[in-house]
Amino acid sequence: MTDYVIETHNLSVYYGKHRGILNVNLQVEKGEVFGFLGPNGAGKTTTERVLLDIIRPTAGEARIFGKDCRKDGIAVRDRVGYLPGELSLYDNMRARQFFQMYYSLQKGNSDPTYWKKLAERLDLDTGRRMREYSRGNKQKVGIVAAFMNKPDLLILDEPTGGLDPLVQQTVMEMVREANKAGATVFFSSHILPEVQAVCDRVGIIRDGQLVATERVEDLVAQQLKRLRLTFAEMPSADAFAIDGVTEIERDDQSVLLEIRDNLNAVMATGVNHTIINIETETVTLEEIFLAYYGKGNGGNHV
Amino acid sequence: MFNLLLRELRFRRNAIIGWGIGLCFLPIIYVGIYPEFADQMAGFEDLMDLAIYQAMGISMGGFEEYVASTVTNLVPVIVAIYAVINGTGTLAGEEDNGRLELIAALPIPRWQIVAVKAIALGIALFLILAIVAAGGALTMSAILDQVETTVSAWDLFLSILTAWPLVMAFGMISLFLGAFSASRRAAATIATAVVLISYIGSNLTGMITSLESIQGLFPFYYYDATASGLIDGQDPVNTAVLLAVSLFAFLLAIFFFQRRNLTVGAWPWQRGKLPADAKA
Repeated sequence: MTDYVIETHNLSVYYGKHRGILNVNLQVEKGEVFGFLGPNGAGKTTTERVLLDIIRPTAGEARIFGKDCRKDGIAVRDRVGYLPGELSLYDNMRARQFFQMYYSLQKGNSDPTYWKKLAERLDLDTGRRMREYSRGNKQKVGIVAAFMNKPDLLILDEPTGGLDPLVQQTVMEMVREANKAGATVFFSSHILPEVQAVCDRVGIIRDGQLVATERVEDLVAQQLKRLRLTFAEMPSADAFAIDGVTEIERDDQSVLLEIRDNLNAVMATGVNHTIINIETETVTLEEIFLAYYGKGNGGNHV
Repeated sequence: MFNLLLRELRFRRNAIIGWGIGLCFLPIIYVGIYPEFADQMAGFEDLMDLAIYQAMGISMGGFEEYVASTVTNLVPVIVAIYAVINGTGTLAGEEDNGRLELIAALPIPRWQIVAVKAIALGIALFLILAIVAAGGALTMSAILDQVETTVSAWDLFLSILTAWPLVMAFGMISLFLGAFSASRRAAATIATAVVLISYIGSNLTGMITSLESIQGLFPFYYYDATASGLIDGQDPVNTAVLLAVSLFAFLLAIFFFQRRNLTVGAWPWQRGKLPADAKA
């Protein structure tokens, strides 16, 4: 039997008449790094807040380590490190005081100075008042706070937001190390390379519903590309009606194509109309996902 | 819980010092100038018959009335404003600015968060009053040989300090409104209105016989800010009523804070129902 760290059953949250999430069924296995993707307002933060009992579900249930997130919320949160997406800190406090206070309010970690090691690793000056920090330094405070208790589950909402590339790498290393040490990581991000780099599986949420979950390697293997071809002589409207190819956009001189298969056929057709420029566009993991699942018709993949 | 309480008190340290020292100038100045002012007091007595002064609970019949009108009548109103600012800011304010999310994600029961904030607010109010009371009492000791009065510096100290149940009641009402409401602004507006209506209402209803029956609705009624309160102390029954109001508001704060969806600006009734067509 699979050992799930996070498990939700038909989890729904409504704010009055407004939908937060609807019938989310999610399973995150012990020891995996799970990427949670979706556009703004899709329900990622709502899901995370329900897991932490900050928001109460309208229907359904959420369990962490087999315990009900609501009834056993204290025991659950005792083993969770959380980095909120919109981090708000105590401006007048020094980071050092904040970590000492935060440590004192948690249980379980026997190392009261572990936060110092984390802060040093992130090159964070903990002697300054937090109102003096840049956005990146504030984010570092949030990251240290999430990791400092060596939690069994890390819930990280956009952990690298506002950080420079070198620190982003350090944070990714910290995620991998925590995972190696046995922690499960629930991770939301918009940045494809970091999701690819650390996540074992990803789930995508759209309009409050979990569209699908899939292993990252399976998704990346889809080889989705997006090409904008500019022509000397525009091809006909049905010129790219080729299996595995979707025409996304067309203007007087160019067409934008999403290609999953038959790249050779695309190029052969293009050459017949004299290609004068080729541009590749970045395809996000979410777009690969949506292309793979026919724009969210997820069905049996969930 | 103790660590959380220490943190809350540390946050209030500057406010306690600022409000305490700032406000203690009120009794220092008013009590301190009395010896020079006493001769002119007789001229004010007719003026004090005006309804506006009576509505504000002001009387200048003698030293005790003067101290009651200028100190024990005003200090609780001003400290009640701090109680409103802090009581609504501590839950609704932290929720508004997003800081509550970090605390709510810790392994701390919600009732403890409310309890710690209530205790910290209670201690802060007590300390502010104690500083003001000490300032008043010391000033009174300094001028006591220059005035004719039956009250001692200790009486004034106690009279100011025994406003604590009153300001605590406003603090807990504010805390409840902050726990109930989705926004600090709404909570602070209502709480301020409660303080002002209570102050004016208590004095006005005392002046109009037909309205005396509703005087008990206003918390200020239960704190005797007149000279008799200064001389004889507070009525224990009235003090008990204020403490009961505080406890009731505190319990309501816990009840609503336990039920609320935090961080999303939702009112308690906005829990939402699953539409019939959304059921799995």
